[in-house]
Amino acid sequence: MAKSMQELYDERMDRYWKANHLQKPDKVPFRPCAAELAGKIAGYTAQQVTHDPDLGLDAVVKMCQAVPGIDATVVNMVFVNTSVTESYGLKYYKVPGIDLDADDSFQYIEPQTEEDAFMKVEEYDRFIEDPNEFVMNVWLPRTSKYMVPPGEQNTWKNNLAWLKNGIAIQQYFQKLGANVARMQTETGTVSSLAGALKAPFDILADKFRGFRGIAYDLHRCPDKVLKATEAVAPHMAWNCIATADPSRKVPCSHWMHRGATGFFSEEVFEKFHWPTLKMVTEQIWEAGIQTIYYAEGKWARNLKHFRQLPEQSIIFHCDKDDIYEVKRVLGDRFAISGGVPNDMLAFGEPADVKKRVKQLITDFGPDGGYLLDAEAIMQQDVKVENFIAMAQACEEYGYI
Amino acid sequence: MQETKSVPGVCFPWEEKKKEYTEIKGDEEVVKAWWETYDVHAYVHLWFCVTGL
Repeated sequence: MAKSMQELYDERMDRYWKANHLQKPDKVPFRPCAAELAGKIAGYTAQQVTHDPDLGLDAVVKMCQAVPGIDATVVNMVFVNTSVTESYGLKYYKVPGIDLDADDSFQYIEPQTEEDAFMKVEEYDRFIEDPNEFVMNVWLPRTSKYMVPPGEQNTWKNNLAWLKNGIAIQQYFQKLGANVARMQTETGTVSSLAGALKAPFDILADKFRGFRGIAYDLHRCPDKVLKATEAVAPHMAWNCIATADPSRKVPCSHWMHRGATGFFSEEVFEKFHWPTLKMVTEQIWEAGIQTIYYAEGKWARNLKHFRQLPEQSIIFHCDKDDIYEVKRVLGDRFAISGGVPNDMLAFGEPADVKKRVKQLITDFGPDGGYLLDAEAIMQQDVKVENFIAMAQACEEYGYI
Repeated sequence: MQETKSVPGVCFPWEEKKKEYTEIKGDEEVVKAWWETYDVHAYVHLWFCVTGL
């Protein structure tokens, strides 16, 4: 007799939870992070899944229906909805269907000069003194075409932008919740994460100073950089916990950027990046929540630092690192995910994918604590037949 | 750790808001609870703009 959606969901949740907690489930879970790929499977353009929240979320449900064997996936891996960002004139995205072809992915455009930075170097003290005030009165108006800061002439467009921003984000949150429920009831699939953590150093680098800006700041005002990471850290932890899964069954996400080895030295990582990231990860763990360290790029020499975290507090997702080395360094303390190269998914054949999946499951499955995924977020360049082969291979070889 | 004026989860504290009322004739806790409910939403919303968009 076929399982009900609830039975399927419970089975998958159990499998996902056990693998995340270093245990050996009945099957290696398949936990793809599928972004524009979901739209490709559902028959939607990148513009449709990025700009229309209903279609973007519907694509994930359709993907789960079309590809059997997905245990857990992200409800909105196309994580920026550009109708929301356009509602208040957010400046830093190139939008598919407007600035880009309808089948291109959205792009983040980081300011390239000090004049264009969303926080100026001389504004560190104001940011450190009161991050809430700075975000509301300086950062948001500066990132929007329409919002104006206090003290400037008010406008109709400013008032409208605040109103629309509020409505659009609230509606988007409501749609997210409804589609997590759809995934469960219509496909028996677990929504793989809830709540998002940003490393304090990353948020400063990505959204306030930019990479160039912070690279200079590390030399011209290192104490201020450090104080700014400390000032913003409590807000990163609080927001992550507030938006996490109330039942504490699924982890929150941490999309990791500037701590990768290509950007800064280990000395910079140890002094500026790691202390506050470690602190907030521990606070989140104390609240009963695991964090997926989605380690974009290569983290090689920095991997050892993560051993300082409490056992099982993170799930380490491996992108460009050697997953066998990651397993050797971290595998006794944390679950690991990843392992299927995106170029293989884009340019290889189903037989290549099946062979790679079989190898990963053979090598990592017997110990438990392994989740099958691609190395990086799957976009529209992934061949659908290769994605299906990935799911099929996990079903075929994953019961270990 | 660096001290700041910002309290996580709070934009406009109830203690400040309360000063605007000369008197609360009914149940203060009802007024306070709903003030804080919307204030927390505003706070999460504000930081979502930074971290989620």
